[in-house]
Amino acid sequence: MLKYFDLNVHAYPETDTPVEELLSVAKRYGYAGIAITNHDNIVGEDLASNYIFTGVEIKANSVSDLKRKINLHWGKVSLLAVHGGNDKINRAAVENPKVDILAHPCGEKGEGELNHVLVRYAAENGVAIDFNMNSIIHSRRGERARTLGKMREILKLVRKYNTPMILTSHAHTTYDLRAPREMIALAALFGMPKEEATSALCDIPRGVLEKRWKKERDVEII
Amino acid sequence: MNMKYILSLLLHLPPSLRERRRYLRFEVICEREIDKRELLKEIWDSLYALYGDVGASESKVWLIEYHKSEDANSGGGILRCAHDKVDEVRASLACIHSVNDAQIGIRVIKISGTIKGATLLRRQ
Repeated sequence: MLKYFDLNVHAYPETDTPVEELLSVAKRYGYAGIAITNHDNIVGEDLASNYIFTGVEIKANSVSDLKRKINLHWGKVSLLAVHGGNDKINRAAVENPKVDILAHPCGEKGEGELNHVLVRYAAENGVAIDFNMNSIIHSRRGERARTLGKMREILKLVRKYNTPMILTSHAHTTYDLRAPREMIALAALFGMPKEEATSALCDIPRGVLEKRWKKERDVEII
Repeated sequence: MNMKYILSLLLHLPPSLRERRRYLRFEVICEREIDKRELLKEIWDSLYALYGDVGASESKVWLIEYHKSEDANSGGGILRCAHDKVDEVRASLACIHSVNDAQIGIRVIKISGTIKGATLLRRQ
């Protein structure tokens, strides 16, 4: 039995959907765990269990702001994600071994970039690159074509440097969640084969939670 | 040989020439009650948007049945498609996020080669 994880879900108070509701739908869809990553805000600490992981998605305006927020949240959550999309923020995030996930590096509307240098940094520092399905689901026509094109490029780089990659729903409501098989079908749209997509939903997220790609010196301090 | 048998040979395609199909049993969760017509339009729109006219014609999608459940927040049904286009149809179902401004989410529960197989569910 494969264990699927969704490591980027937003819940109340950022959205109207409480954590319990998201969890019940996710369980029915066959997920073994979800991580609540609200922007700059830790929730679900009292609910933390085998199913729910507490996380935070840091949204920063500048590099110094990002560094400050990373130091503020580091060690308090099991998952530290950075809201990507801006080129400078992307760079600062992959250079920092304290970061676990770079969420939607090509932005929510396909505006950001990742190049070979950044993807290599991400591999060295154990920062997982996230492919955000929400931007495929919620965009149409040109916007979606651009997003899919960016994801295709990033996928090529990620394969080359063996960077951890994960698929997430970035859900804001229960209606945004998609079952694992649907996520795999969506990943096929930008050229990710089934086996790769399955490991991006099972193995790699678990490795991210276990800090498998972090060097020992980075983990000891936690 | 009776007339009925001869007619049936003439009217129906022989089994070897029939198209191979898959039946997808799906489940919908929605904000408000969705009727069949609205859902079907959205499924086609999503299919056209992702694969264009050619891809949509190849996938041969047909909504066999759709029923609303009593609590108005969910529904389910069976969709038919070509046997080699299951993943494409699944992706286009996953891309549906709203019907007339009501948010919905669709999940495929079971795939079968016959309607009967798609109707029967494993005992929980």
